[in-house]
Amino acid sequence: MNVHPNVPNLVALRSAVPFERSGVQPEDSSINIAAGGTLGKSAAQPPLLELRGIAKQFPGVRALDGVTFEVRAGEVHMLLGENGAGKSTLMKVMSGVYKADEGAFFHQGEQVRIDSPKDAQALGIAVIYQEFSLVPYLDIAQNIFIGREFAGRFPGTVDNARAHQEAKKVLGLLGFEQDTHTPVHKLGVAQQQMVEIAKALSQNARILVMDEPTAPLSERETENLFRVIRMLQAEGVAIVYISHRMSEVFALGDRITVLRDGRMVGATRPADATPADLVRMMVGRDVDLTYPRRFCETPGVPGLVLRNVSSPSGIRDVNIEVRAGEIVGLAGLVGSGRSEVARAAFGIDPVSSGEVEVFGKRRRGEPDQSVKLGMALIPESRKQEGLAVTRSVGDNLMLSGLAKMFPGGWFRPGVARNFGRKMVADLRIATPTLGRRTAFLSGGNQQKIVIGKWLATGARLFIFDEPTRGIDVGAKSEIFALIAKLVEEGAAVLLISSELPEIVHVCDRAYVMREGRVAGHLTREQLSEENLLSLGMHDA
Amino acid sequence: MNAVLNSLKPGENASKFASRVAAVLVIGLALSFASDVFFTQANLLNIFRQASLLFLMASGLTLVVLAAGIDLSIGANVALSACLAGSVIKATGSPLEGAVVALACGTAIGVINGVLVALLRMPSFIATYGMMWLINGLTYYYMAGSTIYGFPHGFRQLGSGYLFAIPVPVYLMLLFLGLAALFTSRTIYGQQVYAIGSNPVSARFSGIPIKRRLVLVYALSGLMAGLASLVFLARLNSAEGDIGAPLTLPAIAAVLIGGTSLFGGVGTPFGTLIGALLLTLVLNGLNLLNIDANWQPFVTGAIIIIAVLVDSVSRQRQEARA
Amino acid sequence: MHNVQALPQTRPWTATVGRIPGVAYMMVVIVVLFSSLNRQFLDGANLINIGSQGSILLLLALPMTFVILTEGIDVSAGAVAAASSVALGCVMQAGGHTWLGIVAAIGVGTLFGLFNGTLIAWLRLPPFVVTLGTMGMAQGLALIFSNGQSITDIGTVIPALYGGKVLGIPAPLIFAIVAYALNHLLLYRSRFGIYARAIGGNPEALRFAGVSAKAWLISIYAFAGAMFGIGAILLTARMSTAHPTASLGMEFDAIAAVVVGGTSFEKGNGGLPGTLLGVLTIGMLRNGLNLVGVPSSVQVSCVGVLVLLALLIEGWKTK
Repeated sequence: MNVHPNVPNLVALRSAVPFERSGVQPEDSSINIAAGGTLGKSAAQPPLLELRGIAKQFPGVRALDGVTFEVRAGEVHMLLGENGAGKSTLMKVMSGVYKADEGAFFHQGEQVRIDSPKDAQALGIAVIYQEFSLVPYLDIAQNIFIGREFAGRFPGTVDNARAHQEAKKVLGLLGFEQDTHTPVHKLGVAQQQMVEIAKALSQNARILVMDEPTAPLSERETENLFRVIRMLQAEGVAIVYISHRMSEVFALGDRITVLRDGRMVGATRPADATPADLVRMMVGRDVDLTYPRRFCETPGVPGLVLRNVSSPSGIRDVNIEVRAGEIVGLAGLVGSGRSEVARAAFGIDPVSSGEVEVFGKRRRGEPDQSVKLGMALIPESRKQEGLAVTRSVGDNLMLSGLAKMFPGGWFRPGVARNFGRKMVADLRIATPTLGRRTAFLSGGNQQKIVIGKWLATGARLFIFDEPTRGIDVGAKSEIFALIAKLVEEGAAVLLISSELPEIVHVCDRAYVMREGRVAGHLTREQLSEENLLSLGMHDA
Repeated sequence: MNAVLNSLKPGENASKFASRVAAVLVIGLALSFASDVFFTQANLLNIFRQASLLFLMASGLTLVVLAAGIDLSIGANVALSACLAGSVIKATGSPLEGAVVALACGTAIGVINGVLVALLRMPSFIATYGMMWLINGLTYYYMAGSTIYGFPHGFRQLGSGYLFAIPVPVYLMLLFLGLAALFTSRTIYGQQVYAIGSNPVSARFSGIPIKRRLVLVYALSGLMAGLASLVFLARLNSAEGDIGAPLTLPAIAAVLIGGTSLFGGVGTPFGTLIGALLLTLVLNGLNLLNIDANWQPFVTGAIIIIAVLVDSVSRQRQEARA
Repeated sequence: MHNVQALPQTRPWTATVGRIPGVAYMMVVIVVLFSSLNRQFLDGANLINIGSQGSILLLLALPMTFVILTEGIDVSAGAVAAASSVALGCVMQAGGHTWLGIVAAIGVGTLFGLFNGTLIAWLRLPPFVVTLGTMGMAQGLALIFSNGQSITDIGTVIPALYGGKVLGIPAPLIFAIVAYALNHLLLYRSRFGIYARAIGGNPEALRFAGVSAKAWLISIYAFAGAMFGIGAILLTARMSTAHPTASLGMEFDAIAAVVVGGTSFEKGNGGLPGTLLGVLTIGMLRNGLNLVGVPSSVQVSCVGVLVLLALLIEGWKTK
């Protein structure tokens, strides 16, 4: 049947019965698919899309390494992984935005090439990104058909009326009533998501990739989304669903694949795994379990106190206390708000209610005030937030300590150099000279520089956000030795980490975040991976 | 002295730096062959005088560009400050009072720019572009089409005089160079400006007070424009509404040629000095070779584009290596 | 927690207030102010005058809207118009046919536009510096080819383009109407406009759709250059001479008209009706100031104040 490429294959979808009217379940055999795709999960057919041995290299990092992955018609295939595991790279490779360096693609058993977004579109692959690919000041119809506009009567013009007509049809299928002339920036997030899905459907998508779709949604909106997903499933659309909300993974998923450090480390089904298994697959690394530490017998004064802190970033009513001499852990699943707590405490994000106190003094305003009070933040994203990678080791080591080391304002390079040399020696930073550009150093050494720059400020409260991510084993234990030394000398440390063994073995006690709130607190005796996991998950 | 030497320390930018000095020498050499007049004392001194005047303006601008900003209003700033100072000197006969007025006016404009960019978060090019036109208008209004001329002899030495056979502006240029180099390499504020220009996000995460430093660099740029206006006033021995117009483009060109990157975090005042010299040499050469003066804006414009191109290419190459 | 909202949202309570563009308020204030200061202001003849002079500015401001929608800027407009005007003058002076002169003017403008577009879109250099450099180059060429003099020998057809009337409507207004219609078509009924907003609002959207944003951006700057050329023709017609520096500085009025009209430098927000109002506002402001005896150079300051006001309002609205 010859259908205009812009027009969704309405023949196929016409026979679908709206979910809420008849309570259709995916297994209901009364649904008749006229064209394309088979019903659900019959394993006899070749997978709709298969990736074999996909690799993608960027300067300095191997984002994907030999990934093998397949999707079947009508299934919801969950894709799990931490930040930086390679999920978004995989998505972009699948959709043709990135070109894979190695590996092959197969569409229903036949080998194909995906070298550009058009190739992926032709295969029926569409992606709903977390940061939507919508143009704010274009209306719904224009956004849906961007790049595929209907030609108008005169050469060069577009047929707006037709675009609105077709857009209405697709939105109707989703049960989304909205004037298609509305500029997209006026829509709420959930509605924008509907537009994104409509966009994908209008491209005759048979494989829909969704990146953390429920993150910005309310419960009702989430239910609506699930309804739409089940409807699409019934049509034989395959859905690759990226999420780390265990409840969703187990409620919606047919199969689960876990990525870690660019590799596929596990493929299973919801029936065959527990949430704890999945988290372990996501996070488990070669971990050196010999953390040198004496635990804190007599904690000192409170170094950091968060009292009912809320922030527009999403955290609510957070109460946390870190005392001098302690390493307090902050655990929780990806997206639970840990980094947001650090940023609110330090002053990067605004605090909408509640108070932050540093060694008894109220902390307000911008980060420079926090530094004056003796705070230090080693951020999650080293290269973007922790360092100026185009500058030298020596310059980076002086980033924070200038005001403290040179109170009069006069900078003395000799003093700075001495400090730099001392840090390089003390922290064993592997660099030939102080003048070497930081970008050329390894992750572990870069992290040491980030820590070292704070040692110039006389900080006594340190917040570490994923300090050992992307760092080799040797450097990891050095960093932990450093942290241990800091608290022995009387500092207070808040350690945010996804690696449960780290929290269990290093911390005196730990808080666990869940969906923007503090879900619980574990003392030394209660500290175990199982307890951390169970507090961190929605219902476990 | 150490400060200047330090800011001269090219480090890994040695090749970029050397190539610019080489360019100066090459052009100088070529011109001395092409024209008999080039290598005469009169011409060389003239070149240095011109380059000094240009550098006086460009030095403050360098600081702003280091912080990844731009100040399109410096030309207008110089004009307004000069006109205000000029009329004060004429009225009171006191160059000192004129100087105070010029500095105050320049700094005030700089502070306003800083507030617009840092506190009100306007993009620097549009904020300073709007200010440029605003100040131009104010200057014309104030001058009401008239010209102020005839300043005290002593004052005029500032711009036209000689000291030990060297034009006074050259000494001022060295003074400005020293001050600017002192700021960039011997104050913590200068170090922080480099950090802000290189990566404003990590600068904030490191506890650098970004807003305050931005206002500071714009204020300094304004202050130095105010100082420069006095020298222009002395040199031209007159002030009228539009003396600022032809100044902005060459100042930007000088900064860019000198190796200061528009994207921030890279560059030195000494580089801008070399840039000012280079540009002046080229324009002087055009003059000597009897090329139509109308070519000057073309050449300046072309040089700006080439400089940005080179900057962008070298930046991309550096990022690829990282 | 995720970076939830990637798109700007306006505050709800300003909905009604914010929907009326700030420029409308400004216009009302200006009309009231100047009509009370000088009775001539609302004269029919004066209004036609405002319209005629404003058409030249409109020819520059309309394409500038597209450029600013892409989060770019073109400060070379005035200088490019000068170069185009000189090109026209040279052709006419050499005895060429009027049509050849017109083609030359538009051609020069388009060439500069292509130059700008290539550097900005392809080599990814910052727009304001590139167009700053082009401004110098165009200015220089205008001076060189005219020897710094105005060219008065441009025949009789060109001036008629400004002084003539068609069906009782002054020619420049015809230009303005045609130009507005053309730009309207481009922005609201063709991919040109859609992609302009996309480049400014979310270039990723184009990338994911497999559209070459670069090619379209180059054509936007080229189109702007062509329009600047047409504006130059009209200006030359008005002055009856081709002058190498008359149009310098017009880019500021054009940019001001676009910004005052509500097109911001962010995210592809804005449109042509706003620009039209902006052109009228600035035209009326200048005209009114003229009638009150304020010199041209000071008028510029007032325009500058309007721009800063508009930017502040815009910033406040979308905070």
